[in-house]
Amino acid sequence: MSLLSYQNEFKKLLDRKYFSSKIHPLRKDAFSKLEATGFPTKKWENWRFTNLSRLTEQNFSISEINDGPQSRIDISEYEIEDLLTIVIYNGHFQQNISSFPNGVKVLTALEYLDYKAGKISHSEASPFDLLNTAFMDSGVCLMVDKNVHIETPIRVLFISNGGRSIMVNPRLYVDIGMGSSLTFMEEHVGNAKSLFQNEAIYIALEEESKLEHIRVQCNSNHTHNMANLHVKQMGTSQYDFYQYSDGGIFSRSNIHVDLDGENSECNLNCLSLSRDSQHIDNSIIVSHNSPYTQSSQIAKSVLFDESTGVFNGRTIVQKDAQKIVAHQSNKNLLLSKSAKMNSNPQLEIYADDVKCSHGSTTGQIDEDALFYFQSRGISKNEAFILLVSGFVAEVMEKIKFTPIKNYINQKTNLWITSQ
Amino acid sequence: MLEIKNLHASVEGKEILKGVNLSIKPGELHVIMGPNGAGKSTLANVLAGREKFEVIEGELKFNEISLIDMLPEHRAGEGMFLSFQYPIAIPGVNNMYFLKAAVNSVRKYRGKDELDAVTFLKMIREKLKVVELDDSFIHRPVNEGFSGGEKKRNEILQMISLEPTLSILDETDSGLDIDALRIVAEGINNYRNDDRAFILITHYQRMLNHMEPDFIHVLMDGKIVKSGSKELAHKLEEKGYSWI
Repeated sequence: MSLLSYQNEFKKLLDRKYFSSKIHPLRKDAFSKLEATGFPTKKWENWRFTNLSRLTEQNFSISEINDGPQSRIDISEYEIEDLLTIVIYNGHFQQNISSFPNGVKVLTALEYLDYKAGKISHSEASPFDLLNTAFMDSGVCLMVDKNVHIETPIRVLFISNGGRSIMVNPRLYVDIGMGSSLTFMEEHVGNAKSLFQNEAIYIALEEESKLEHIRVQCNSNHTHNMANLHVKQMGTSQYDFYQYSDGGIFSRSNIHVDLDGENSECNLNCLSLSRDSQHIDNSIIVSHNSPYTQSSQIAKSVLFDESTGVFNGRTIVQKDAQKIVAHQSNKNLLLSKSAKMNSNPQLEIYADDVKCSHGSTTGQIDEDALFYFQSRGISKNEAFILLVSGFVAEVMEKIKFTPIKNYINQKTNLWITSQ
Repeated sequence: MLEIKNLHASVEGKEILKGVNLSIKPGELHVIMGPNGAGKSTLANVLAGREKFEVIEGELKFNEISLIDMLPEHRAGEGMFLSFQYPIAIPGVNNMYFLKAAVNSVRKYRGKDELDAVTFLKMIREKLKVVELDDSFIHRPVNEGFSGGEKKRNEILQMISLEPTLSILDETDSGLDIDALRIVAEGINNYRNDDRAFILITHYQRMLNHMEPDFIHVLMDGKIVKSGSKELAHKLEEKGYSWI
């Protein structure tokens, strides 16, 4: 999609009565910056292995009221026990089937921006962040006050359906106050025939707060998914991120974590399962900006058919960030001759007293292990399933909220056994 | 029980077994010794049905059924078991899950009901005592981080759980300390009865101090060149293979 067609859509969006005009200046500023930079090309270092042509060759229109649900939506197939769900359908918030938690302030993203009144800066925004700011149409802001532990997890369920090529730009804010904790899940589902979702998520963790963030991306194999995740952590905060992806024709997550406060810790876990001509791409930057900070990245991919994957993992240790611990691991399992994985783990260290490790392996199923199973009476097919399950097991293992963990494990098993 | 006649087998186009003859009856324990590269492990792998080991000539029958085109998992179902020289570590797969899948697969093949979790656990706890391992052992990933002795004891645990009638033990004694060697040997001895046969592949006579073999065979350059009683093993230990 050329920038010119985006311009037309942008005009349409500004004319919308139900979007607050207070944030128009923010939108316009972002759009003009986007016009200046353009979309990434393969010459951009972080986009070398990412073919955006499938996305840029197609035209998408903004989601209209008519793209909302035509009848009552049934979300029973996504049921997870003991969890509250907020539903957004093709970029339209569905109040009637959403539940709201106690102890959490919930605003729409647009209300939040009004509330923050221009305090949002976009100094390091990427083209897709800018696109989101210009076009943001839906989203939720969750704010947890000081010293509150929210027991019931909150999920935002994004459903994308329909045959029209639409573009949605959801925006999520999660602010966790000092000493508080929350489990937050976002899930992307639906059967859209053609869709471009460009999501932006901003997470802020105050001192001694904790957030468990689970991202499940299982939307249709015709969806283009761009996720732009920004996390800022204050002292002694802990951020645990789990991403499960098996949907989308094209999916890229740009994950950027700033460990700003001493003793803050982040653990990023990504599991990517692809087949046919799917492309799943994780681009991670963790920046240790303070001493005594800790990070771990575990990314695993299983690739069938002609699917492709990318892991770009960059850990930056700033000059004064001494005594930090950073681990990075990327492991990939290629299950066909034409599947392809590009792995690029990087460490950038400017401090001198640090403990860092990184590693990457890409391989096939171990024939010796297969024979070992078979010699014990287990059929080759079952052995294969056990080995793939074993390979992926560690990624989601530490999810604390069991119903979510079980839900993801079920999805994983279903994916593996349906090959 | 097992009939091997003029068996020729190759790996990656190279002929390793060059006419092996061996006949094993229920209840017998056969020991195969021989220098490195003689084809001992090849014989074990051919018997278990590993794909890359190709039978190019000869007969291979287990309980009157030809093994040549039989899948490894079906051989296990028929009652064959191979204890690996180097058991494979499988990160992420829990030992209990693996054992349960294996036990139920062979039970299914033998027309028996699958065991439920409770019955299985009860059974496995009994077997763990035999190999002197504690319960925590089965909750670890298969062979991952196991010591040499633990790996071999895990092989014996699998053997006594799968209840084979023919067990092929490929250098199960190598890399074991004295205690582990005793435990492994006792595990095998306790499992011996008139219906069950064993092929023990070894380099050393020391394992034989713990058990009573019926035959010792010497495999050299892809053929069995000498067979005898336990005394043969002592002689080999003293004199090596050059006198044969």
